[in-house]
This record gives sequence, structure tokens and C-alpha cells, in this order.
Amino acid sequence: MTMRTMLGAMLAATLIAAAQPGFAEDVVIKVWSRADRSGPLRAGNIVAAADTLNKMLTAAGSDKHVKLELNETNAKGYDEDALDLLKAFAVDKGPDIFVLAHEWTGAFAQAGYAWNLEDHIKKNPELYDDIIPTLWQAVTYKGARYGVPQDSEVRMFFLNNDDMRKIGMSDSDIAALPAKVNAGQFTANDLCDLAGQVVQKGAAKYGILHRPNAGPDFQMLTESFGLVPYDKATAKLQASKAALRDFYTWVKYCTDKKALVADNTSMSWDAIEHASFTGDDVFAFFHGVWRVTDQMKGLNLKTKDEYFHRFTWINAPAGKKGGKPSNLSHPIAYAVSAKSKNKELAAYIVGLASQPYRNLQHAVTTNHTPINYGEQSMPELVANGWALVAATPMLKYASFMPNHPKIGQYNAIVFKGIQGVETGRLTAQAATDFVVDELENELGKDIEITK
Amino acid sequence: MHAPTLATPAVHADRVSWSALALRARWRRIAEQSALLVFLLAVSIPILLPYFWMVVISFTARSGGVSTRVLWTACAVIVPAVIVYCVVHLATRSVRVRLVAAVTLLAATVALLVALIGPSLNFANYRFLWRPNIVEEIRSKATAGGQFPSVWIAFRNSLALALSETVIILAVASLAGYYVSRFAFRGREAFLQGLLVLHAFPAMTLIIPLFLILHWIGLLDTIVGVMLVLATIELPFYVFVLKGFFDAVPWDIEMSAMTDGATRRQAFRLVVLPQVRVGLIAVGVFAFIRAWEEYIFVRTMLIENTHWVMSLYLYWVSDDIMGVDYGIVAAVSVFYVLPSLLLYVFCQKYLTQMTIGGIRG
Amino acid sequence: MTESAGFARAQARRRQANFALFLGPALVLLACFFLAPVIVDLGLAFTDMDRTLAVTTLTLDNFERMTSRDTRLLASLGVTAIFVLCTLGIFNITFALLLALTTTAVPRALGAFFRAVWLLPRMSPSVVYALLWLWVVDPNERGLLNQVLVHVLGMAPADLRNNHPLVVIILANGFIGASLGMIIFTSAIRSIPEHLFHAARADGAGALAIVRHIVFPALRWPISYMTIHQTLSLLVSFEYILLITGGGPFFDTTVFSLYAYRRAFENGQYAYGAALSLILIVIGVIAALGLWRLMDMRRLLQMPRIEVH
Repeated sequence: MTMRTMLGAMLAATLIAAAQPGFAEDVVIKVWSRADRSGPLRAGNIVAAADTLNKMLTAAGSDKHVKLELNETNAKGYDEDALDLLKAFAVDKGPDIFVLAHEWTGAFAQAGYAWNLEDHIKKNPELYDDIIPTLWQAVTYKGARYGVPQDSEVRMFFLNNDDMRKIGMSDSDIAALPAKVNAGQFTANDLCDLAGQVVQKGAAKYGILHRPNAGPDFQMLTESFGLVPYDKATAKLQASKAALRDFYTWVKYCTDKKALVADNTSMSWDAIEHASFTGDDVFAFFHGVWRVTDQMKGLNLKTKDEYFHRFTWINAPAGKKGGKPSNLSHPIAYAVSAKSKNKELAAYIVGLASQPYRNLQHAVTTNHTPINYGEQSMPELVANGWALVAATPMLKYASFMPNHPKIGQYNAIVFKGIQGVETGRLTAQAATDFVVDELENELGKDIEITK
Repeated sequence: MHAPTLATPAVHADRVSWSALALRARWRRIAEQSALLVFLLAVSIPILLPYFWMVVISFTARSGGVSTRVLWTACAVIVPAVIVYCVVHLATRSVRVRLVAAVTLLAATVALLVALIGPSLNFANYRFLWRPNIVEEIRSKATAGGQFPSVWIAFRNSLALALSETVIILAVASLAGYYVSRFAFRGREAFLQGLLVLHAFPAMTLIIPLFLILHWIGLLDTIVGVMLVLATIELPFYVFVLKGFFDAVPWDIEMSAMTDGATRRQAFRLVVLPQVRVGLIAVGVFAFIRAWEEYIFVRTMLIENTHWVMSLYLYWVSDDIMGVDYGIVAAVSVFYVLPSLLLYVFCQKYLTQMTIGGIRG
Repeated sequence: MTESAGFARAQARRRQANFALFLGPALVLLACFFLAPVIVDLGLAFTDMDRTLAVTTLTLDNFERMTSRDTRLLASLGVTAIFVLCTLGIFNITFALLLALTTTAVPRALGAFFRAVWLLPRMSPSVVYALLWLWVVDPNERGLLNQVLVHVLGMAPADLRNNHPLVVIILANGFIGASLGMIIFTSAIRSIPEHLFHAARADGAGALAIVRHIVFPALRWPISYMTIHQTLSLLVSFEYILLITGGGPFFDTTVFSLYAYRRAFENGQYAYGAALSLILIVIGVIAALGLWRLMDMRRLLQMPRIEVH
């Protein structure tokens, strides 16, 4: 062989050797999640699922490797985050997997950004069949499922037993309250009367404190007064003037009795929590079961018994005597981008992340209710999740927010009305008129206003 | 023989007591100055007090709550000391007495402060400077990826952004200011009028159009895009200010440079620009500080969260939905304000030389 | 002949080159990021763009909605008028003048100190400044204002943010606004030749007379410019209002620019927000041009000296 042919052969050999990838092939999956102190494992479970998948790939001898790119945003709420996400999708910078509040599923499905998971779910019963069936309603849009529920919760009024004892109620009276609420004997007005009494007798500084911004909670209360936000038949949002008026009359009644606080809506979250989770300044706090951890830390309660000695949970009482109480569950969901190049892979990662073990870690550490039947009997839930176990019966009265793309605006407008009445800027009738005007103004043909 | 005097017999009769006049004038001046000082102090206290409070909180707050005991104690010590010094300063003219008074008062103040509030002071809130994931330590984890960065990364990014901003603005505004000041081009008046009217364009409400434009240019989600947008927002004001400085530079300097053979551009760069050094520093300070505090555009125009700046860091620390630690917020705020403050203090004398061109007519 | 023609051509080329070099960058930036957005905004106002950034039709719906169905629009215009007039009248111009006059009448070092204090709000980042305001007007007893009211003046604690929100935002924006005017006016006063003051005093003029006859004439242009600049600035910016009251309890402190921003951003109705912004721009431009005429700003622009490239 001449020198030239030898060199040529060596060169060829080197090239061929170089062509075999000696390194793993990365498949990049982008994940978008809102950094939320009450749910770090929403993204964390996806990371864990990708790890498991990579371990399986390595064990199978594959060179492929799933690489996750996490984008954890600082949006102030799920609504703001959803708007940012829509903008990102619009300029083709959307992720492959995203976390969203369930009521936005419709918006993303309509815009073509959420992938229709119906087929995927049907083809993989071993991943999805254990999920509690009612939860699927939350992510269904026009008959198809566009997301996988990630968690759920229960919302309630946390009543301060110590304050009630201070005004002379006996322990048996206190213990009887939840049943009275469920039977429709203790109405929303009664709640305000009680709260007003507590404040006037000086047992607490604030009557009922609620969130300072728009959110799902208020739907519980409006439902007690007969406001049904969604018409399944026409798939449109709706509002009844009479129900709105009844609701805002109640808000005015409570504000006048000092049961509701005039500047609740301009307090910061921190001020509200500081008042509610330390000391006895607040009679009733209106939020959800995942706050139990904060309450225990702030009030130094160590056990379940200590906790229930201090707190009573009630559903949102009925508006009228004999009516039904209401509750709200607000699941968060995973969704897969329809524009993703790795849709199936992303969906499988979501499926893996939704398995009982992983989901239970999230549920127990952050006090959300589990999504799978299997989790309900796991020892860890029984041992550490007593709050969740105690809250589950309340789910009987729970409803979801409608899965309509404009429900966020609907809620914001109703909230503005509450703010107007609480701060004394609007009377009940003026608030009703204002809300009706705004609904028509902003939602136009998407809403049906009835008498 | 008497030397002729100016005093007439009539004046002799009511001898003017010059020393009395002088004394009266002096007392009147003291009264005037005191009144002015009292007024200035009165209106400045509402500003000073909250900032001082913030510093105090950053050094004292432990559990995250906010108290004012230390603040009032400190004020109770410092205010009388300042008043006593003012009285001494006005009462005597002797520099030695003033110096002695100042030193003793300072020593007394420090001693009292150490005794009264010393024990409450601690550096705990400043630990964010050396522990990166501070907020997640206090409350609980919010993220899977630990995306909350070390404050030094945010600081570095803010610094880079602000400095680049300043350079861009100085370059563009000085070039434009010089041209508008020196050349009569068609549409000059319209341009100046337009600059003023551009203030009417609401940059913040135009965020969506800006978002779209950056997307069409391809600069969305890049820090360069953000810089260009920020540079443009304040540009009209800076051009006006620099025009004022260029107007004040006498034409002779350029003319002599050009008769010596320099082109207009060289004259600008080598001769005129150094003359407006004060203006450049003033505009530079304003531009830097404006870019240092920016957060809305950085939030909106960047989609991947990788570019932390100080404003976002503080916003995230203070706007925590699940509970705020006021001590840390105060400490971060103090750290955040410090660079602007230092810059301002050192460049103060340049800022007070800013004028609007054309005053001398 | 050809030589001078050649020279003229070279001059013309250099003139164009100079134009491009000096004014070019500014023009490009302003065109791209000031004018272009306004044109895009003009276009958006006639579409139905919503939060998906997708445009499907051209429509006059936004304007129809603005005129017939939007009930809060006029109220926010009213709030804007009160806010701009009060802040401008009390703080940005008047108080700035007062500060400039007083800080130049005291010894230099003290004057510089007080100016430094008054520049503190403007120099500190907006998030920090807003945070301080929130701490000061906190309705509990932790709030600094309430501490003073309760312990020093013996009054009941006040809830300014809820009961007098306009006062809070006027003060907050006023503190910031006064500082810029203060600097500009101070440098104007400083540039008045000393001998004028001496001569006036020798003639027996008191402080007020000096201010009226010597200081004010020198301040005419700065005051005019500042008035226009600050009016537009107040019309257009709402950053501090957003951070401190968020638009007030209910809509009490929602000035028009904030109103447009919230309509657009809290609900993703970008086209409607664009229409509202358009109205704001029109108001601003009319105000600017009107004030320009009123204050005869033309004379401010001297013609330049010699045209040599």
C-alpha cells in the first residue's frame, strides 16, 4: 500500500468512527409552570417522571435521553400566568408541557394550543384509569379531554372556636355547626350575624377575611345564592340578575354588620395571613384546605386534635333556609402543547407524573386532595393526611368552575362588585347593575344575562 | 483743623449706630435662614423618615414583623443632637467651637445609640447576600428547579443592563443633541416639537404593540430588544437636555478647530464633546438610574425567565403570596437603593447644572 | 466652475452623511419604538385581537363599545383630570419652585443636602418607593403615619389608602415630580449672574422683590418646558399608582392610562386596550400642542449659527 492509500484508509476509518454517536441523544422537553409555594411538586413530579423515564431508557441500552428545560414563572396568579403563556404560544415560544388552572383548559383548547388527549388517555388505561372520574369534568372541553388533573382541593370557612367560646357558645353548639350548615339550618346571613356578634363583643378584630383578589373561592358563595355561571346546553356563560342582587345584598348586610371587612380587598396577602394564622384576631378565614399547614405553624398546633379544638370547618352556607350549602374544588391540570414536536412523549411523561406515589407526595406535603383512588388508602395519606381525610366528605357539595375561556373575566367582574360593596362605593342594586354592565361590556355574545 | 467729614450737623444729631444696624441685619438674616431651614426640614422629614425606617428595619427585624420602637429611639437620640448642633452653629462664628461641639455631640449620639439600640441590631436580614436560596429557606420551596437566583447574579445583570443602556443613550442622545443644536435642517422645529409631543405617547400602554414589533424584528426574548426599547423611552428628554448643554458651548471653539483643519465630526468629537462633560454625566446618571429600576419591560419582553434583574428579585421577595419577611425585604431594598444613591451623591453637582437650552436667548 | 460644483456636491454628500450619522440613530430608534408602536396601535384598535394575539377581522366594535357600553370611561377621565391638575399644580411646578428658591437661599452645602433628600424618591427604584409608601400608610398601627397620628397627635388611626386614596397617589407622585423641576429650576437660578442680585440688594430690594423681578424672568423657559413635560408625564404614567393602590379601592384612583392598561392586560383584550390607548394619545398630543402654543415655546428654539459641514 502506498502512503496515500494508507492515509486515506485511516481518514475513512476515523470518519466512520466519529459518525457513531458515542454520546447520548437528547430530546428536549420544555416545561412551563408557575412557581407556587403551594405546589412545587407540580413541576417537581414532571422532573421525577423524566428521571424515571431516563432510567428506563438507560436500562434498555438506548442512547436517547430526555432533557427537561424548566421555566418556572413569577406570575402573580394563574390567570396572569395563563395570559403570559398565551402570548408565548402566539410567538412560537411555547413549552411542551404546561401547568394551568383547569378553567383555562377551554381557552387553550380553543386557541389550538392544548393537545386533545382523548385518544392518548383511552389507549393507556393503566396510567389513567385510577383517576377519580369527576375530576375529568374539570379538564373537558366540548366533550374531549385536553388535560390531566394534577390535584384538587376543598375550600371552606375556617371558624375560630376560641372566639366562639369567648362569646358564650358551648362546645356542643360549636360542634353542631357543620351539620346545621349542611342541613340548611344555618344560613349565610346567620354566619354574618355570628361573625358580627364576635366582632362587636370584642372577641375578634376581623369577622370574615377572604382573599384580596379575584379567585375561585367566591363562586362557592354566589352559588349559595343561586348564581349558576354556566349553561351546559348552550355552552355559554350566564348570570341571573336576581341571584346577583341577592348575593350583593348579603355582602352589604355583612359589611354593615362588620362581619366583612371594608378594606379586605386592599389588604395584602401577608396582612391577611398574619392576622389569620397568628393570634385570635380573625373569626373566620375563607380559603382552602392547603392552608392547614400554615395554620398549624403559625398557631403552634401539633396534632389533629389540637387543630380541631381550635378550628371548625364549614361549607359555604345556603342563601336561604332549607337550601343546600356549596363547596368548590379547583383542580390544577397538566396539559400538552398541540404544537409540540414530541407530543406523545410529553403526554407519557405527564402520565408518569400522575401516578399515585408521585401525586401523593404533592398531596400530602401541600394538603391537596389526591387524584387517584389508589392514593386514598396509602399509609402515608392515612398517617399524615388527616386534614385531607377530614375534608373529603365536604366534596359531596363541591362543584367546579365552568371550563369556559372567559370564566376568568367573569370572576374578575364579580369580584369587582364585591369590592365595590365592601368599600361602600356601591349599594347592592348599584353593584348588580355594575356587574351586569361589565359582563355585557366585556363578554358580549359569550354571556346570557337573565332576570 | 478738623478733617472734613461727611457727617452733617443733622446727622450728628441722630448718630447712626452702624453696629446696631449690623446687628439687626444679622439677626434678621439668622431669623430668615432659620425659617427657611425649619421649612425645609419640615418638608424633608416625611421623606427621610421612611427611608431611615427601612434601614432600621433591615438591621433589626427578626421574625419578619415590623416594629418602630428602634426607629423612634434612634430619632429621639439623633434629633436633639442635630438641633443642639444647629443652635451652636448659628450662635457662634468660631470654627473651633463648632468643631468641638460637633465632635462631642457625635460621640454622645453614637454612645447613646449603641447603649439603647445596639443589642437589637443584627445582620441576619443581610444573609441573602451570601445565601442564595434565602426566600425558599424561610418559607418553603416554591420551585422544582430552584429558579430563584443568588442576588449577585441579579445584581450583575442589572449592572450590565444599566451600563449598556447608559452607553447607548449617551451615544445616541449626544449625537442627536449636537445636530439639533448646531444645524438648521428642514424640519428642525417640527422635530423639536415632535420630541416634546412624544412624551404623550404612553409607553406602558403600548406594551402589546411593542411586543409585536420586537417579535417582527426578531428581538423578542432578547436583552438587546429590552435595551433598545428602554433607551428610546426617555430619549426625547435627554436630547432636549443635551441640546441645552450644546447650546451653551460657544461657537468659537468649533470654528477655531475647523479653521485648523478638522472636519465637523472631528470638531464634535475632540473639541465640543469634552465641553459638555457635565451634561453627559448628568444624562448618564439619570439613564443609569432609570435602567436600574426597570422591571415592567424586562418582565414582558423576556419569555424565558433566565434574565433576573434586581427589580424582579425585589418584586419576587416582596410580593410573595404566601407570606412576606419584612426584614429581608428591607435589607434587599437597602441593597438595591445603595448604588443609585451613591451614584447620585457623587454626581450631584453635575445634576444641578442641567438647563433647558435657550435661556440666554 | 466644475470645481465649485464638485465642492458643492461634496458638501451636499457630507451634509447627508452628517445627517445620517448624527441624527440617524435617534431617528431610527424613535421611529421603531415610538412611532411604529403607535401606528400598530392604530391598526390594532380596529381589529378584534384578544389574548391569543390573533387577528381575525377588522371591526369598529371597540369604538362602539367605548362610546356606548363602557360605563367607567368618563369617571376615569375625571379622576385623571383631578390627579394631573392637583399633582402638577401643587407639587411638580409650585413645590419644585419653592424648593429651588429655598435651597438656593440657604448656604450651599445645606441646600445640596436638602436637594439630595428630595431627589431620593426619584433616585430609588419604583418598587422600593412604592413599598415604603405602603408601609407608611398601613391602616394598622404598624404604619408610620398612624404611629405619628396616634402617639404624637392623639388622633384615631387613619386608613388613607381606603378613604382618601387620591391624596395618597397625589402625594406619592408629587414627591417624585417635584424633584425634577427642582433640579432644573435650581440650575436656572444658579446661572443668573451674581451681580444682578448684588445690584438689587444695593437698591434696597427685599427678598420677594428679588424673586419677582430677577428670578422669575430667568425661569420662564424652564417653567414652560417643565409644565408641558410633566403634564404629559402625568397623563401617561401610572407606575406608582399601580404599585401603591392598584387603581384604588374599586375605581377611585384609576386614571385613564391605568384604565387602558388594566382593560388590556388583566383580561387579554388587547384590541380594546389599543383603542383606549389611542384616545389617550390623542388627548396627550392635543394637550402638548395646546400648551406649546400657550407658552410660546417657539422662541425657545434658537436658530443655529453657521452651516458648515
